[in-house]
Amino acid sequence: MSESGAMTGRAGAEFTGTRSQLLGILLTGYLLLVPTLGIYRFWVVTWKRRFYWHNTIIGGEPLEYTGTALQLLIGFLFALGFFLPLYILFFYLSTQAPQVIVLGYAGVGVVLWFLAGYAIYRARDFRLSRTLWRGIRFDQRGSAWVYALRRFGWTLAMIVTLGLAYPFMAADLWRYRYAHSWYGDRRFGFSGSWRQLALPYYGTYFLVAALVVAGFVFLGADGATRLEALEMPSPGALGIWALAALVAGLGYYRYRARELSAMFSAVSLGEARLAMRIRGRSLMLMTLSYGFWVVVVLGVLLIAVIAAIMVLDPGDMPDPETAFDIRSALGGGWLAIAGLVGGYLGVLATLSLLGELIFGLGFWRLVVRGATIENLDSLATVRAAPEDRSLAGEGLADALNVGAY
Amino acid sequence: MELSARYQDGLVAEVHEVACRIEGDALVIRDAESLFVRDRWPADQVYPLHGRPIQLRIANGARPLGARLVFSGPADIAAARAMLPALKRKSAAYKARQWKLVGLSTMALASVVAAYVYGVPLLASRIVGVIPVQWEADLGTTVARQIEEALVADAGWEICDPDPDSLANRAITRFSTAALEGAGSPFVPDVQVIRTDVPNAFALPGGRAYYFSALLEQTESPDEFAGVLAHELGHVAHRHAMEQLIATSATGLLIGFILGDMTGLSIAGGIGASLIDSRFSREAEREADRFAADVARRMAFQPVGLANLLERVSGDDDYAEAFALLSTHPLTSERRAALEALEPSPAASPAFTDEEWQAIRTMCDAGTTTKTATDTLAKGETVGFSTQAEEDQEEDPEEDLLDSPVP
Repeated sequence: MSESGAMTGRAGAEFTGTRSQLLGILLTGYLLLVPTLGIYRFWVVTWKRRFYWHNTIIGGEPLEYTGTALQLLIGFLFALGFFLPLYILFFYLSTQAPQVIVLGYAGVGVVLWFLAGYAIYRARDFRLSRTLWRGIRFDQRGSAWVYALRRFGWTLAMIVTLGLAYPFMAADLWRYRYAHSWYGDRRFGFSGSWRQLALPYYGTYFLVAALVVAGFVFLGADGATRLEALEMPSPGALGIWALAALVAGLGYYRYRARELSAMFSAVSLGEARLAMRIRGRSLMLMTLSYGFWVVVVLGVLLIAVIAAIMVLDPGDMPDPETAFDIRSALGGGWLAIAGLVGGYLGVLATLSLLGELIFGLGFWRLVVRGATIENLDSLATVRAAPEDRSLAGEGLADALNVGAY
Repeated sequence: MELSARYQDGLVAEVHEVACRIEGDALVIRDAESLFVRDRWPADQVYPLHGRPIQLRIANGARPLGARLVFSGPADIAAARAMLPALKRKSAAYKARQWKLVGLSTMALASVVAAYVYGVPLLASRIVGVIPVQWEADLGTTVARQIEEALVADAGWEICDPDPDSLANRAITRFSTAALEGAGSPFVPDVQVIRTDVPNAFALPGGRAYYFSALLEQTESPDEFAGVLAHELGHVAHRHAMEQLIATSATGLLIGFILGDMTGLSIAGGIGASLIDSRFSREAEREADRFAADVARRMAFQPVGLANLLERVSGDDDYAEAFALLSTHPLTSERRAALEALEPSPAASPAFTDEEWQAIRTMCDAGTTTKTATDTLAKGETVGFSTQAEEDQEEDPEEDLLDSPVP
């Protein structure tokens, strides 16, 4: 239990939810998706958020999520209005010459990338404005279009500078998000800068680049022609490139942890300041454990399916000619289709379940447990802000698949 | 009875320890120490909120959105519930409302699906009616080029007899023109025999039709050839390829709606779409069969040749049965029965003369030998005659372009 020390005003945050609680919520939700033709997904998201929010305790008080499934459903319908014309455009494109198709899809891809920025910002707005703590609502102002433009412009800069612009982009977007966030009538502040990100980012960047170049040098004069002829390059060059990949992988987690720690620690709210500590190895462990569980769970499922087929239809098994024959495995038409659709949805559900249990919950817990808030008591004078304009769900974000939590 | 709780008024971010009790029809909230009355909540307007089970969080409809009373511990929670009967009532009403909402939206979606399954084939044929002929013809050209590019790469693609004035091509053109006569089709039929080892025949949008050499090798009589050709021309006359394209796109949209994945990246979309579309394409096959039978009667040849060839090539094997629903083709026995039920023409004569048929059969004999069709059949591929847009998935490299317009 975190104590809000009266003298220092320092408070930690804690997370009280367990993995099995989340598993229960998700399993129930996924099962209800079937009879509701998928409509229940808006309720699944709502229940999931309630789990995350209500188990996050800051200074002894939990967060509260006040959004409803109906709001998400309405938002989705709004987004449909946007996607219908796009869909007709896709249809038209598909009937064109291959070059036109490629160009058209590339164009639509650029438009969608721009809109993803808009959707991300709106989704954050939706979630913040439906978050209460001590009975006071958070909010996000600023313009989603401006945010989308910035993000898009930075993307172009990233391409032009071969990724060197990243620390500037990260700091700028973090600043835009937090400088427009509010708790009641008090505005968040953000003091982060690209300088805090420069060392871990450029360090990894140039080390990896140097290793890649070194690999080419090692390859020697005839290396390029050998690569073109698809011959194996020398073991030395391969070794250096493997090292480059390893450095890039480890550097990624180290950088991510640094960025999260530094940027969250730059967030303030009046006199209250957030301090964050997230370790790169915790992030890496999450990925490793996800990979491990995907292999284990899908492996067990596969064995179960094979066993079921053997039990149901053992006659075909001794003959290797028919053992892999789909007709013996699946039998009748409806059974085959049910198996196919069920199998696909099963794999999809398993992956998304594991993703939520490991990445979703894991990351949320890392952030909550890594956070300390100084001068939390200073927030006792925050007053509620007037009602926010009504937001029509997260429509676009839901449809574009960008909402993380 | 007095219960201790934590209270926040929804106006200022402060939490107070309070003691509450019912006085008349009001829930009086007093400061735990000073006993100063912080608020009086109308007791019948309280409602419970979602939260952790170790707490009972309640709000009041007559107070600011963030105003809360929080009871902790099983004993206090039970006492609060007993003290405030409105909680139970509101909670039950809330749950009922949620399930009603779930039920209503599911029903709405189900009716959209039903309207789709029965409506889109109808709608597709109406929409096809307003699609400019030139546009469809251009589309046919594009698709033909796509197929050519895809097939040249792996299976090989060669027009067997490129000379339009050869005996065989003239015979085919004569037959096609006569078959489409009176059908009101805006297109000039363009049938080509292609050298490839896939036993199939299909029609494209805009009047093009292809007959593959591997199928020709298995064709034993002029009537069989004529039957298949008439079937494909039936697809042309009904503009099935275009209809199919429209219907399939609409299906993709529907599946995207159900899965909530409008970006259409999902494979489930593909599976679901083929499930629903198969219904439509089987209807199209029947329609093309009827057209073929009609042509046979008009031109006085035996329509059952179509069924004979179909049976020889694909048969009703277990594999085809297993995927009968996914297959875009109706079961052979079903089609055969329909074709056999037709009156044979009283004065039936072969659709092509002996010389013509001989020329057609040998169209692909010049040049390299093709793999026998039975090699392909041994792998158990489903074979049938169809419009291009409804081709079997495994045989058809450009299916992606047609069936799923969204990447």
